[in-house]
Formats: sequence, C-alpha cells, structure tokens
Amino acid sequence: MNPSAGLSFKPIHFEQAMTCPAEGLWFEVHAENYMVGGGPRLAMLQELRQRFPLSLHGVGLSLASAEEPDRDHLARFRQLIDRFEPFLVSEHLAWSRHGETSFPDLLPFPRTNEALEIIARNIDIAQDMLGRQILIENPSLYLHLEDHEWPESMFLAELVKRTGCGLLIDVNNVFVSASNLGFHPISYLDALPRGVIGEIHLAGHTPDPLLGEALLIDSHDAPISEEVWQLYDWLLALSGRDRPPTLIERDDNIPEFDELLGERERAACMMAGCRQETVDA
Amino acid sequence: MPSLADFQSRFAQALMSDEQSAPSLRAHAFAVYRNTSARGTVEALRATYATVNQLLGDDGFTQVALEYRHEAPPTGPVVSDYGAGFAGFLARQPWTCELPYLADVARLDWLWLESFLSGNADPSTWRAARDARISLHPAARVAWLTTPALTIWQAHRQPGGFDDLEPEWREEGALFARPGLQVCVHPIERTCRYLLAIAAGSPRVDQCVAAVAEAYPQSNVPELLQQCVAAGALIIH
Repeated sequence: MNPSAGLSFKPIHFEQAMTCPAEGLWFEVHAENYMVGGGPRLAMLQELRQRFPLSLHGVGLSLASAEEPDRDHLARFRQLIDRFEPFLVSEHLAWSRHGETSFPDLLPFPRTNEALEIIARNIDIAQDMLGRQILIENPSLYLHLEDHEWPESMFLAELVKRTGCGLLIDVNNVFVSASNLGFHPISYLDALPRGVIGEIHLAGHTPDPLLGEALLIDSHDAPISEEVWQLYDWLLALSGRDRPPTLIERDDNIPEFDELLGERERAACMMAGCRQETVDA
Repeated sequence: MPSLADFQSRFAQALMSDEQSAPSLRAHAFAVYRNTSARGTVEALRATYATVNQLLGDDGFTQVALEYRHEAPPTGPVVSDYGAGFAGFLARQPWTCELPYLADVARLDWLWLESFLSGNADPSTWRAARDARISLHPAARVAWLTTPALTIWQAHRQPGGFDDLEPEWREEGALFARPGLQVCVHPIERTCRYLLAIAAGSPRVDQCVAAVAEAYPQSNVPELLQQCVAAGALIIH
C-alpha cells in the first residue's frame, strides 16, 4: 500500500484510527513527544505503526542554529527511527535553541551565505547521525528581516543540492508567509526545485486577533482554507506524476476524527487526479 | 551584517524580555514569536502539573509558570523533560506559605509523569528462592511528604473529589507503580518506604527481608514484599 494522504496522529482518535479502512492512510507524530523511556504512549504508537506507515516529524533539532545540533537529542531521535522505521523523517528550516535555552517555537533567521553554510553543515550532521535522508520544511514567517541574501525557495534548493536532503513543503506556511511578508505564493512554488519534494503539509491558519488579515497566524487549529487547497492543487500539478504523500496537520481545537478524515479524503482525491472542487461548487 | 550567532543571541534575548515596543506591525509580528515561545513553555508546565493548575486556577498558574520560565527556561525540546525543578521553585516562593501542601502536590504530579513515561519491565511473580534478587521496577516512584498532599492530590484527580475535602494534617507516603500500562498510586507507611529504599540497591530477597525486619521488628516483611511485587513496584530476578 503506497502512502497517499495522512493525518497527524491524535491519541484521542486512536480507536477510530486503528479501524479506519481508508486506502493509503498514514500517520505523522512529533518525534519529541515519543522520546520517553516506555509506557503507554510508546505502546500506542507501536500498535499504530503495526497497522500504518508512520512519519516522524522533528520540532527540536534547531538546524538553523549557529551551533551544531545537539548530539544527545539526535541519539534519542535515532532510537525512535530504529524502533519505528518511519517512511519519512522531517525537520524545519528554523532554530529553537540558543546556548542552554530552548524555545518551543520555530524561529526565523536571515538567509545569508553564512547561514547556508552552517545549516548545510547541521543537516549533514543530522543525516549522518540519523542514518538517513531527512526532509526540510519551509517555516511560517511573521517578521520582515533585513540582510536576506537568498530567497527561501532558492535557499531550500541549495540545501538539497549540498546535503542530499529532501523537502517538505507546507502549503499553508507558504500562504501565511506570502500573506505576511507580501510575496506571491505561486511564484514561490514555481521556484522550488522539481523532484525533491518528499512530503506536503496542509493545515489551517487564523487571522491575528488584533491585526486581522494583516497578520496571519499558522495556528493549526482550523480547517484548511480554500486558498490553501488551490495552492495545493497548483503544487500537485507542478509535481507531475510524482505526487508526494500529503499530511493534514491539526494540533489544536481538534475536531472529530471524521472531520479530519474528510479533509484527508479531499487531499487523497486530488492526489489521485480528481478535479479540484471548491466546497460550495 | 551581523553573524548568524549574533543575530540569534539578540533575538533570544528579546524573546525572554518583557519590554513592550511601540505599537507597530513589526513589533506585533515579533510579539507572535515571543508569545508563542512563552505560551509553549507555560502550556508544557501546565500539562505536567495538572493538579497544581487545578489548585491555582488557570490564570494563577500562568502567572507562576511565567515566573518559573524566567528562572528556569527549557533547556531542551522534549516537552515532558521540562519542569523538574518546579516543586522546589514553589517551595521557595513566600506566597506558598498560604498553601503549604502545594510544593508536595507538585512533586506528586512530577512523579506521576515520571512513572507514566519510564521504561518497561516484564512483570514478575513472587518467588521465595534464596538466591533471588529484588529491584525497583523502572516506573516505580516513591515520595514521603510532610503534608497530606497525597490525599489532596488524589481528591483532585477525580471529578468532584475535593468538594468537602478536609484532610487530617499528617505525613503521607506515596508509591507510584505501573504494573501494566496504567499508573497506580498507593498510600504507603514508613515500613514500606524503608523496604523500597532498601530494594533500590537490588539486594538479595533474604537480605532485604532481614534489613527491614531489623528496623521494623513488628512488621510482616514477607507479606509487604509480596504486596509490592503484586503492585508492580518491585521485580524479582
């Protein structure tokens, strides 16, 4: 069974997930939530893994830190990979650690030549210690930074070239960043390198409570917007026959399993080549 | 142009700062990062210290968690690793003299989580072979509390359990064990606490029995041992 469209795994949906007959269904979890000694959490993931393909999505490697990635953290990540044999492993083009302090966020940086060198080195270290290729995800951006020397899509392409990593393109992040920073999301997608996208993320966003549409927040707490579905359709068309596994990401305001499955069916259908239809069509 | 390291040093400092800039889109956009980072830390602590959160209320807990974050921000990305020192922090706060059991309740929240996430071990059954050794199950955790914090903690872990709670003011002992996939908590007495402390050194069963019987001559040590094995707190090799 080839993985087609998948869902972020939520323990509250475990029973329904285990009995879900959807063809090509797979699940993704945040690796850091499972870096524990044992117990029910790992046992549940083990059961899920016996039935479905699994993707491990890291949120803490801090690959865009000036410092090298934490070797202990990489070792814990490697243990999970060895145990669960995920078909995909991914991380973000962001940093979250400075010295001894860790920030539970994905932070921005100026995409300079120096940053490119450092991040390529960090991805090399990570892939070496994890013993496999990882996919690098484009972040959601909120802040204009000075000193960028590279557009993001070209920066990602260069990382692929230098390290052999693949890409995870989060279409919602493209939409949110484009809206917040004022670039065109289609141009961004068009500039991505072909044939290296190993996974796509789709998620919901919300307008900032104070500033509204002037600042979109990548909140993962709402259904996927129609604009994001349209961008997804565009990205699929660019991908040709090689359609990357696509994840419906939801981390907050978790709805019923069937609602997530509905979004998942829509993505699976688009991957299979169904015509894109809007909700009110 | 600043180096990546300089940029991150300044950015990280600004994330931990409480200073408010003049209102602007840029300041607001930066606040998204600062708020996400602060909220993520607070929510990680709240998830671990659910009973402390019940006792302080959501707003009260948020305030305390932000103060703790200033003193001890996360040092790694694994959410369940964060907050080991929170009980000690609470004990040092002058205002907790109004809630003298609060730090002990926090210790119990932490030990429950440790038990929940600890390594597995095959359950063992009691056998009295002379050469058998005994050790603590990796998920067993023990606390001795100078307040009735276990009674308070247990009452808050069940719906409506603390409506008319008036615990007797006495020392309490708690044993967390995970015989299967569920964490169970057992009130324990001093003898059991001593036995578990001896067992932590992985002695032979007969040595363990002799040591506990010497310290507590009135107790039925073999029976206590069997109870601890049945509860999943001890393993016989």
